[in-house]
Amino acid sequence: MRFKNILGLLCAASISVLLAGNASAQQTVKIGGLFPLSGNAASTGVHTKAALEVAMDIINNAHPELGNFPLAKNAGLAGLGGAKVEVVFADNQGSPATGQNQALRLITEEKVAAITGAYQSGITLTASAIAEKYGIPFVNGESVAANLTERGFKWFFRTTPVASDFAKIYFDFLKDMKAAGAKTDSVAMVHDNTEYGTSVATVITSVFKENGQNAPLDIAYAANATDVQSQVLQLKEKKPDVVIMITYTSDAILFAKTMQALDYKPAMLLADDAGYSDPSFIKAVGKLSVGAFNRSSWSVGPPGSPTALIAEMYKKKSGDEMDDTAARQMQGFFVLCDAIDRAGSTDPAKIQAALKATDLKPDQLMMGYKGVKFDEKGQNILAAGVIIQLQDGENYVAVWPKASAQKEPVLPYKGW
Amino acid sequence: MRRFLWPSVALALVIAYPLLFSTPFQQRLGALVLLYAIAASAWNIVGGYAGQVSVGHVVFFGCGAYAAMGAYAHFALSPLVGIPAGIVVSVAIAAAIGVPTLRLSGHYFSMATIAVAELVRLIVTNIDYLGGGVGLSGPTVPRNVFDLSFISALPYYYLFLTVLVATLGITWWMANSRIGFYLRAIKDSERAARSLGAPASRVKLYAFMLSAGLTSVAGALYATMFGFVDPESGLGILISVKILIMAALGGAGLLFGPLVGAAILVPLEEISNNLLGGKGAGLTFVAYGAIIVLIARFQPGGILTLINRLWARRRKTPETTVAAGATHAP
Amino acid sequence: MSTILVQVIVGGLLLGAIYALFSSGLTLVWGMMNIVNFAHGDFVMLGMYVAFVVYTLLGAGPLLGAPLAVLVLATLGVVVYFALIREIMKGPMLAQILGTFGLALLLRYSVFWWFGANFLTLPENIVGGTFDIWGLRIQASRLLAGGVALLVTLGLHLLLTRTSLGSKMLAVAEDSTAAQLMGIRPDTMQAIAWAIAAGATGLAGALIATFFYIVPTVGETLGIVAFVTVSLGGFGSVPGALVAGLLIGVIESLSAYLIGAVYKDIVVYSLFLGFLWFRPQGLMGKM
Repeated sequence: MRFKNILGLLCAASISVLLAGNASAQQTVKIGGLFPLSGNAASTGVHTKAALEVAMDIINNAHPELGNFPLAKNAGLAGLGGAKVEVVFADNQGSPATGQNQALRLITEEKVAAITGAYQSGITLTASAIAEKYGIPFVNGESVAANLTERGFKWFFRTTPVASDFAKIYFDFLKDMKAAGAKTDSVAMVHDNTEYGTSVATVITSVFKENGQNAPLDIAYAANATDVQSQVLQLKEKKPDVVIMITYTSDAILFAKTMQALDYKPAMLLADDAGYSDPSFIKAVGKLSVGAFNRSSWSVGPPGSPTALIAEMYKKKSGDEMDDTAARQMQGFFVLCDAIDRAGSTDPAKIQAALKATDLKPDQLMMGYKGVKFDEKGQNILAAGVIIQLQDGENYVAVWPKASAQKEPVLPYKGW
Repeated sequence: MRRFLWPSVALALVIAYPLLFSTPFQQRLGALVLLYAIAASAWNIVGGYAGQVSVGHVVFFGCGAYAAMGAYAHFALSPLVGIPAGIVVSVAIAAAIGVPTLRLSGHYFSMATIAVAELVRLIVTNIDYLGGGVGLSGPTVPRNVFDLSFISALPYYYLFLTVLVATLGITWWMANSRIGFYLRAIKDSERAARSLGAPASRVKLYAFMLSAGLTSVAGALYATMFGFVDPESGLGILISVKILIMAALGGAGLLFGPLVGAAILVPLEEISNNLLGGKGAGLTFVAYGAIIVLIARFQPGGILTLINRLWARRRKTPETTVAAGATHAP
Repeated sequence: MSTILVQVIVGGLLLGAIYALFSSGLTLVWGMMNIVNFAHGDFVMLGMYVAFVVYTLLGAGPLLGAPLAVLVLATLGVVVYFALIREIMKGPMLAQILGTFGLALLLRYSVFWWFGANFLTLPENIVGGTFDIWGLRIQASRLLAGGVALLVTLGLHLLLTRTSLGSKMLAVAEDSTAAQLMGIRPDTMQAIAWAIAAGATGLAGALIATFFYIVPTVGETLGIVAFVTVSLGGFGSVPGALVAGLLIGVIESLSAYLIGAVYKDIVVYSLFLGFLWFRPQGLMGKM
């Protein structure tokens, strides 16, 4: 009697060990996705969630139509025996405190292998601090504050270009436009006083001054304004040649409407992503902002290309066109998954080493970066961007630099 | 002796909590409950005991947070050094608000507190020395224990518990002192109290200043735990409202009301975010809002008054029932 | 005076009239029922969404959208009154803040759940374009909202002071026990007051939607403006809300233009605090 029981137990035990062994070959790699899914920035967070869901589909299922795009060919991560990738989404509610709490939960309760996020720089700051304390890789795709890579962190990696990169892009673009005959001597910056608006405006001012140009006229305002008439009237009065808009979606929509109401058309309007890239903005006031320039690292590309196919998949999932912010976050996620794939394991230290060794070429990316390679601070030194233009009021096309341009830039700004 | 049985058990549980619930998230949750309980208990002094509803209390919270982070960011000192500075500034602001407005009826005082809080937030957003829109950060790598930058939430838990006990002790002492006596009279009927010689405005002012100082300590502790403060997270109106509703939900004017409120609302918010937040449909706040509405509707005096009433009902004596805050016979 | 300065002032007046429009409902309930409604901004938001739905489903502008918003919000007002407000009115101010704050979250995120987080707008010229009068640019949509603000203020004022319904409502506000003894039912009057206030707020939302963006969190931005307008004007005074709104609008626009947009709110709040110091009852309120 007893012997039979023991034998039965042994059989059961060995079967479960075998099953467990097989299960680990079909394991799931959990990655934390920390985004603003409620609050003022919810629009961005929700779009990013859709983008990452598309990314998960691309990685976890075989997508031969995407050609040599990394992780698309096979189902799952080849380096981990076909393991599936699962993003555990967490809402940071737009608050650094909540972001940090959720990061802790992702690390200690959900036991994620890595975290990606968190959009607002203040939240990325606090959440990555927790990841650093616990030794979990944190890959950021879209926060632009300079101080994020100035903390001496070893586990923080950022794939997106930062404010200083964009400032250089704007400077070079304006130089080229001047050479082509446009007037670009006086520049005005309209920016909110959040950490985004302030840090970008400060960097643009210093880059312009370093390169011998006059400091731009600084028109600051408090975010989420109820009215922007006075700012537009100031522009109308000062008549700058170029207006750089550094605003979130809510204010961007208000500015576009107010400019039309007050019949103000700058000769050249250059937007710093954020609000002007939001699909809501284009739907709402795109037809009033024809000719607006914008910076982007995303471009749909020719039909049938991997980027175009990804854009289609995203449109199906979210109902909106892919925008630069969601695309940058998606790219950050792909870089992270590629590193996990190369690491061949969910061990944080191995993933960290793989991230440090990242060396992706432009044709392996969905963004228009020159590549992905991190310096010792964790910043992607090959991040780059192009200038796009809203030429028909509905879609952005790449117009600069010439090598990446789909169309010629159209001047002056048409507006409505 | 039996009177002390349940409170002792409760105290023992509170002390043992992080050892019983020892995952990092649970420990951190406990520390957060205590932190908000400190802030809400501080608010309770002026909002509950003195009956003056301050909706701009975040300005004191922010003073403490910015003082703590500023001490580190600008002077490379431990954030603890910033605490006295934060207290001084908070008390000064409280005096500046309180002197002109405490003699007015409640709504004006509340509006004044909102206006001051927003004004300070807007001003700080424009001052680069205080970080402007970007904010101030604390030590990322702790140099010594006084930097208060711990990986585990355990030290925070016990630190906050100590401060909470001190805050409640101060509240209890105040409630049983002459000031507390006057405040009860004023709450009942200010006119009657004044006619009997109670220095109403002065007493309310003292309560307000005391509350402000303690709130700034809570703010400083918050900043050390999260290592960051900016105008939105340190001076935003939402924080005022949060600590206010914790005190109200738990039972304003009762010693342990804010703790009960924090113990309900903080886990509720975190857990509903854990369960529902990731779906991105805002359901966290639908649930949170609905629960608050239900409690406000059915138990406007707060949860603790309900608990006290039920507790007294078990005793079934009129004295204890009345003492427990019931408004009618059981 | 340069054209631009005139434009600033005219724009400020229009802006202020709009502030008054969505604040009149709040001052009504604050004055009459002593209710601090933290969900006020979200009532405005709901009015905006009604206008959006009317446009999306029926293709109609504010001619249909505004009345429907009034109806929907007034109905919601009655429901909210009987379900929640009536109870928390009896409690201290704290209970009211607690209850209305919870209501605000509930409304805001129910809309978020249904409509999503995207920023929505009505078509640009749904009310008409922009008038160009002697070099001044005036948007037809804002002019309409401003005009309606004057009408609503006048209408509410006449309602309260010239009609028997109005005097019944005021009686209940002054002393509900005495009113009861006179045969007036406080419950009914308060429900009506609440419904009127909600309806006015819905109307404001529907009109604002013709030139502003629509998003679930817009109530946060607008709510605090309403609070300041109402306090400055005097709790309960609808004409006061109009004057306060106009004053705030002009001062905001002028300081944004002359000093800088980041300072305009600082100026307004400082002014407001100054008033609280020297004249707390506001412009037209009673102590």
